[in-house]
Amino acid sequence: MVLKNNLKEFRHKNNLTQDDFGKSVGVSRQTIISIERYRYKPSLELAIKMAKELNVKIEKLFYFD
Amino acid sequence: MALSKKEISILIEVVFSILFALIFMPFFYENQGDNLISINNLIGKITPIIIFAVLYFSMAYAVLELIFKAKTTVDERDDMINSKSYKLGYLLYELSLFVFIGMLLTNSILQNTGGIIFLIISLLLFVSIVKSIYQLYLYRTF
Repeated sequence: MVLKNNLKEFRHKNNLTQDDFGKSVGVSRQTIISIERYRYKPSLELAIKMAKELNVKIEKLFYFD
Repeated sequence: MALSKKEISILIEVVFSILFALIFMPFFYENQGDNLISINNLIGKITPIIIFAVLYFSMAYAVLELIFKAKTTVDERDDMINSKSYKLGYLLYELSLFVFIGMLLTNSILQNTGGIIFLIISLLLFVSIVKSIYQLYLYRTF
């Protein structure tokens, strides 16, 4: 099982660039790129921050595949 | 291949280690058989090393700040990459201690002040370069 996410999709829905979204949750653009490519698994704290920022439930943002 | 500010700052460290090896290591290599490497000789060599390091890093980071004006954010991914690379560095330091002892015991030319200094600097340079390259690899793949 791989932890995947719909971050890119929800980010686009909110009209946010990787840089803007990164700044709003306190991480770099490279970290957002890495999460969107499923390379880096964010901490629970960061995952919750992201879900809050995108107004989406965490289980909709992150899922196991 | 676009490199981020963090990746370039790691490359600056790698280049410094390589330049250090090319410029200053010949002196330590030549003096590895010297049993009483004079303190004046050492100070004479350490002073240009310090001047070179200060000049190199201040110039390199000044250019880096000019190119990348935006402030870098240090986040949990950086912490993870740093902890992984420093862990490798730490393991290599431990391993290099055994290499250091082994080489001292088996190599008579190294059993003197000059030899010990040469061996320590070589091992430190090796560990530093490997750690930085691994850090760079993690930044590119994570």
